[in-house]
Amino acid sequence: MRVFNHEKPDRMPCFCVNGTPTYEQMEKVGAYWPEGHERAEDMAKLAIAAHTVLGFDAVRAPFCQTFEAEALGCTVKLGGKENIPGIDHPTLYKVDDVPVLPDDFLKRGRIPQLIEAVRIMKREVGDEVAVIGGIIGPFTIAGAMLDAPPILKTSFKTPDKVRPFLEVAEKAGTMLGQALIEAGADLIAVEDMQASPDLIAPKTYRDLELEYQKRQVEALGVPVILHICGNVDKVIDFMHQTGCAAISLEPKSDTELARRVMGPTGIIIGGVDAATTLFLKGPDVVREAAREQIEMGLDILAPGCAIAPGTPTENLLAMVEVAKEYTHA
Amino acid sequence: MKYLTDYANIFTRYDLNIEVARQAARKVSQDATLQKVADAVVQGEEEDAAKLTKEALQKKSPMDVINEGLIPGMNEVSRLWDEGVYFLPQVILASDAMNAGIALCEEKMGKAMDKKGKVVTHTAEGDIHDIGQVIVNALLNANGFDVINLGADVPVDKVVEACRLHNPVMVTGTALMTTTMTAFPKIASQLKRLGQNIPFVCGGGAVSEEYVTSFELGIWGKEANQAPGMAEDALSGDDWQAMRGKWNG
Repeated sequence: MRVFNHEKPDRMPCFCVNGTPTYEQMEKVGAYWPEGHERAEDMAKLAIAAHTVLGFDAVRAPFCQTFEAEALGCTVKLGGKENIPGIDHPTLYKVDDVPVLPDDFLKRGRIPQLIEAVRIMKREVGDEVAVIGGIIGPFTIAGAMLDAPPILKTSFKTPDKVRPFLEVAEKAGTMLGQALIEAGADLIAVEDMQASPDLIAPKTYRDLELEYQKRQVEALGVPVILHICGNVDKVIDFMHQTGCAAISLEPKSDTELARRVMGPTGIIIGGVDAATTLFLKGPDVVREAAREQIEMGLDILAPGCAIAPGTPTENLLAMVEVAKEYTHA
Repeated sequence: MKYLTDYANIFTRYDLNIEVARQAARKVSQDATLQKVADAVVQGEEEDAAKLTKEALQKKSPMDVINEGLIPGMNEVSRLWDEGVYFLPQVILASDAMNAGIALCEEKMGKAMDKKGKVVTHTAEGDIHDIGQVIVNALLNANGFDVINLGADVPVDKVVEACRLHNPVMVTGTALMTTTMTAFPKIASQLKRLGQNIPFVCGGGAVSEEYVTSFELGIWGKEANQAPGMAEDALSGDDWQAMRGKWNG
């Protein structure tokens, strides 16, 4: 938390902005999927494992990107014991429909369980580590409501048609974020995968998405971490303009460019590629990759994206060890 | 001595300039009407492409409109994508524009045009995270392949059946999770058993090269961007071993 208060931490912090559970952690703490996606107690147990098993400096829930979309009416497929939940087809809306934000949004789907999980996390480990509440960015929720090809086409051709969806999506995410803060979240992580230049044009980000993200960051009273997948060099400037306290990067983005854009006070989180390094390689490669990225100017060491559930614990511990090498005595 | 008064273009990363997207097609045809058809494709204007195709068909043969207007326009789009000027939405819109034009030409010919070849695409059984497949479909379409899109969460048997039915030059599978990618070797072994030695490109999320190259027919796709190049190789007759040798390892 000191980093977010712009104070000097005693060492480099290490945690994950995205989902943290792995099969090995599930075994250790006796909480599993899909219950970890559905029930507050299991969710909190799994989230806390990131601190008790891995030694991360923050705990985080939830572990998927479907809570807001489900409460808005999308069908979610939970994925059983092993898989990550996703939005099922056919999607809820067509481009010409009028999207609705239900009055009882915060009582719908699995949202009450998520809020309760954050409350438990705060109570159990809130004195030791930061509690991160995860919400989803406007464009990504709108994408879940409309499906990818229609929203991508419309965003470029008739962007105004996407606005009503972004409007509802931003409000949904913000409402959830505020509820999580009330339940005890110290930080809010916004994942906005579909706003990546891998999918939308950077000018769509600037002319359409940025306004809603700004609104969201402003409405949330705590520091916000913005995470977008892929190489975000082309939109890093706009990500910074959202007013977020920190940006979470995948290693394929240019960390040094991000530092130039964000200046000395912007917080950069990133480090080790979640799939190609943490999941597939061994501890030595993880250590090397982590050190290399830290040298480029990271403030917080983290996986570049959600931890793949099959990731070996020893790799995650290796990452934490590297963070401990960087003391600020 | 010359003094520099404007520093704007120094230390500027041109690849970060996002406004260049507003450009028209290069000249692709001597014929003004066909050039307009190509421009409509490059701009991703489906209605304009249809209207201009109709006009062009008044004086040109359907094959000329396709080969000198619609396809050269799409090739321009591929170039702009490769250069990082165009993004995925523009590629999808341009494909739609090209396909609208091609449909009109086919109507006039009274038969379907010969596409380059078929590619069956799917996202693994149990997996509904299909964004990778969306990109693969868009790029293959844009490059003139006939995409048989099976969608997400596709059972093994359905993929095998589609391959039997369509006899594609290549089949692709995407999976986010290591738990769902286990469908890939099952598909490969069934195809093998049926004597369908179709190159099977697998990629996405946590799918690793090591895993995909552990079963016959498998070729590891690192990025969605590679799909058109791989399909071209398959079309030109490369078998899965040759493709694996080229793209993997």
